[in-house]
Amino acid sequence: MFSFIIRRLLIIFPMVLLVVSVTWGLIRMAPGNFYSGEKKLPAAIEENIKEKYGLNEPIYMQYLIMMGNVLRLDFGVSLKYTDRPVNQIIRDHFPYSATLGIFAYLLALVIGLSAGFIAALKQNTAADYASMSLAMLGQSVPNFVVGPILVIVFSLWLYIFPPARAGGFMNYVLPVITLSAIYAAYIARLTRAGMLEVLRSDYIRTARAKGLDEKTVLFRHALKGGLIPVVSFTGPALAALLAGTVVVERVFAIPGLGNIFIQSVLNRDEPLILGIVAFLSILIMAFNLIVDISYAFLDPRIRYE
Amino acid sequence: MTRSSFGQARVSVALIILSLFVSSCTSSANGRFYGKTEVPKANVLKYVSGSEPESLDPQVPTGQPEARILMAMYDGLLEYHPKTMEPIPAIAESWETSSDGTEYVFNLRKNAKFSNGDPITAKDFVYTLRRAMSPELAAQNAYLAYYIKYSEAYNGGKMFVQDEKGNFLIKKDFDPESGGGEASASTIGADSGFHQFIKAPERLTVASDTFTLAKTLEGDDKLKPFFKIKASELKDSSAFVSQVNNGTDGVSRLLQAKLGNALTGCAATCDETAKQNLIDGLNKILAEESLNSAENTEGLTLSEAAKKLIGKFEAENKKIADANQKLDQEIAAAETAEDKEAKTKKKKKPLTKFFYTNRVLLEGYYSGSFAKMPLVTVKGEDMGVEAIDDYTLRITLYQPAPFFLGLLPHQFFRVVHQRTIETHKENWVKPQNIVTSGAFKLVVNKPYDQLVVEKDPNNWDASNVKLDRIEFYPLDEQTTMMNLYKANEVHATYNHTTPAAWNEVVREFKDEYLNHPEVANEYYCFNVKKFPTDNPKIRQAFALAIDRDGLSKFRKTTKPLFNFVPEGILTKYDEARTKIFAEELKANKISAEDWGKRMFDAEQARRILTEAGYPVVKDGDSWSCPTFPVDKVSVTYNTSESNKATAEFMQSQWKQNLGITVPLKNMEWKTFLPVRKVVDYQGLARSGWVGDYMDPYTFLNLFYRDPNDSSTGWHDPKFDKMLDEANKEIDPQKRFEILARAEFLMLQNQPVLPLQTQATNWIKKPFVKGMYPNPGTLHAWKFIYLERDPSKWDTQVENLMKVNDAAVDEQLKQLEASQKAFEANKPAASKPAAAKLD
Repeated sequence: MFSFIIRRLLIIFPMVLLVVSVTWGLIRMAPGNFYSGEKKLPAAIEENIKEKYGLNEPIYMQYLIMMGNVLRLDFGVSLKYTDRPVNQIIRDHFPYSATLGIFAYLLALVIGLSAGFIAALKQNTAADYASMSLAMLGQSVPNFVVGPILVIVFSLWLYIFPPARAGGFMNYVLPVITLSAIYAAYIARLTRAGMLEVLRSDYIRTARAKGLDEKTVLFRHALKGGLIPVVSFTGPALAALLAGTVVVERVFAIPGLGNIFIQSVLNRDEPLILGIVAFLSILIMAFNLIVDISYAFLDPRIRYE
Repeated sequence: MTRSSFGQARVSVALIILSLFVSSCTSSANGRFYGKTEVPKANVLKYVSGSEPESLDPQVPTGQPEARILMAMYDGLLEYHPKTMEPIPAIAESWETSSDGTEYVFNLRKNAKFSNGDPITAKDFVYTLRRAMSPELAAQNAYLAYYIKYSEAYNGGKMFVQDEKGNFLIKKDFDPESGGGEASASTIGADSGFHQFIKAPERLTVASDTFTLAKTLEGDDKLKPFFKIKASELKDSSAFVSQVNNGTDGVSRLLQAKLGNALTGCAATCDETAKQNLIDGLNKILAEESLNSAENTEGLTLSEAAKKLIGKFEAENKKIADANQKLDQEIAAAETAEDKEAKTKKKKKPLTKFFYTNRVLLEGYYSGSFAKMPLVTVKGEDMGVEAIDDYTLRITLYQPAPFFLGLLPHQFFRVVHQRTIETHKENWVKPQNIVTSGAFKLVVNKPYDQLVVEKDPNNWDASNVKLDRIEFYPLDEQTTMMNLYKANEVHATYNHTTPAAWNEVVREFKDEYLNHPEVANEYYCFNVKKFPTDNPKIRQAFALAIDRDGLSKFRKTTKPLFNFVPEGILTKYDEARTKIFAEELKANKISAEDWGKRMFDAEQARRILTEAGYPVVKDGDSWSCPTFPVDKVSVTYNTSESNKATAEFMQSQWKQNLGITVPLKNMEWKTFLPVRKVVDYQGLARSGWVGDYMDPYTFLNLFYRDPNDSSTGWHDPKFDKMLDEANKEIDPQKRFEILARAEFLMLQNQPVLPLQTQATNWIKKPFVKGMYPNPGTLHAWKFIYLERDPSKWDTQVENLMKVNDAAVDEQLKQLEASQKAFEANKPAASKPAAAKLD
């Protein structure tokens, strides 16, 4: 187990370098650059910019310089927001995305697990159909529809929650609900499917045959096994939620990382893109590792050597 | 949860949501105001400012969202008039223009202070401008100040050239065509050593980059003698020879093999004849074969610089060769002799190798300066900006630029604090370090969330600043800001913010929705260099076939445009244009009726297209044009809903009126830009231009010289001449007339298809006063206040620009008094000619 974790940790490093290199190549292949705009720049001004940002260096030098920055985990200053270092941008804006993400994650877990659990226990009853239809709805209605509807109802009509902008607890209610909807729905479906499969499995029959009471069967034996598909989904989902989601951040004007990431690509803001890509890839790989480890706890049949 | 209760809950939830929907939709349309409308308790304006500001350094960002924020934080010599955007006094309380329009003297007020209490003096403006133009800052807006003498040279890292006696070469000796550079007799303000230098005839400047310099020299026989560019002018040609003869590197071996006799001759005597032989020999081998061909370069060890230079040179020649080859094909395919001749003329000669390659080879041996006398780099100190004393600033231009005062309120010219910048370097704009000069100072800066400024008691005009604070929200999601507005959490938005889908509803609220002409246009460029839009008739037919009134009805927020300079804002220019166009029509024997029809005349469009060789025929109920090469034309635009809607409208018009279905092509913004920039699109491309200042020149300048910024490939020396002439004209109305004539000339050639004058499209609460939909939607924040008395709110307003606000008028009168008094007291002799912009 321990050596497995070490191996996985070690592989993160070259993987990040690879991801960053590929991203860098893609940025360089994309047409346009960070200073192109509606107004064409006189040649002299363009030359000054190229000189200032080292774009006159041979391409392999530019790559090496970039890689050097990545290795030092210092991505330099954003090309667009010229007075803000990339590391600081990530530090400033990640907390917003993370707050939003963690709450949405918890909400999705609570709703999804309970709905899925109930549906599985009461299979083919109204409760099952109801929660599964809701789940289907939650999964198919995109959050750019859910968000505005919530705003119309709770902000513009009832004036309960603010319509947008980060701030206190009240500001986060609507975006958290919006963001969690799709995840809650998915978790509910996964929980139901996982539970149903486990409930039909031999070891549950054995447990019941042993005469264990239903509570123990369900919570001690069935739930653990039934959760495996959920865990393999929620691990990467948590990473994605933490990384920020463009739509919800834009609709609710939350200054999170997701929106900034998209803007940085549209702006061809190379250091910022690379910084966020590196950060996110580390985040996602770390969560995948955590998921893999938790398998071992949930299912005694899984072992890592 | 039991079965039944769940079912009930579901039904009731559905009902609630449904009812909320219905009621929220109806309530908004019936209300007197759009959403909740209450004056906030605090004297604070909440304003949506658009995308996140790139920087708080006024000299760096280029966008309007930044401009609005920076206008609050920094003051300049002049400020924008809140309604007309004409320049009004700010830190300069009065100013004077020399009679030839090339010199401006500004008298600064003595109580102007930075936010830390330091006085603002003329020296601060000198520092600001030198920093703004420095190549190290690499400001994208630097071109705005290129009218200031030597500023372009400084920004471009250019160098002055001296002759052998150390005298600087004068530009007009080498380029008599170029405007300006004359020593001018008219002058204002006290004389000084610097002033004599800056008023002297303009010095010649050359590029510091060797490749560009080499290119300039190659084409300029007059200039060549001042540079040692030939082998014969090497001080020590025998050294060169011995180096080649003893050399073991590739170049030497090549030269030994090829030059043979010439080298021996030179080594033996090194007289003029021998030197000439050497050069001839060098040129000969280079002319005969490419240095880059495999057999020649085998074993060569060229220096990196040389390789790079040769590479650039070869690439350029390849481009020319490719273009020529294409032309050859077209010539072969051309039908008329005229066409053939025209195309033959377009062929370009390849660059001669002699000079470049000789230079490369020689420089490898004789590195060091290339000129006979040291070239002198143009410094910030050479720029035409001078502090005559602490409170008098003089700016000298290359040539008259009557719109120059109109540029000065731009954030690029607003004053910054030298010590702060020098102490904190790039961190000077951090909230804990920043020192500002405007009516408001920075308190909070949370990127992507909010930027808060508060009234600066140190500001010279603090007593007239009415708001305590402004909260700027950097958002650009339109629906979100509308929601905030309806919840009264935002009091006004920036320009172009009402989503198209909401427009129908929002425009009903006349007191809040602001739809006024903007100093911006939208047009389609024609590629006048590519078949088939290189044919003016085809361009005309395409333009005539568009019903632009229909377009503006369809787009709802726009006003149709048939000329290039936006209509309805520059009223004096509109007058001149009407007059001149009437004259031109007479001269060109075009009846007013025909001219009127240029707006939309499908019949005429079909006739012209038929004349051009593509007959439009009746095909049942519709038209068709079977011979038109549809595959050679398309409309390229950058991806956006509104651009798509316009393009589809245009497409249907052409289909309906000409029977041509033009394909549409959308591209992501940054992908689109380079394609349009190098005129690499087929047929048409979408474009728009926002004026930098309130003058037609900011639009017409797009077509000035070749290559120009119009992205059409069109260019006409006659047009250039008219623009030069116009800027030398002192009388503003006469100047406009010349510009109008130039515009007419350009429109006759139809390199563009004007679509519309852009219109402002934003909302503000009725209690926000002193804020106007001026042509740039740039607000001088100190005029803005919150009206607590609902009876004084802007209600039932047809045109906000025509409503007089006593508070604003009084404030303006106070501000303008100093300049008026100054002009009245001046001796009649030095009456300024173009002191005020119209």
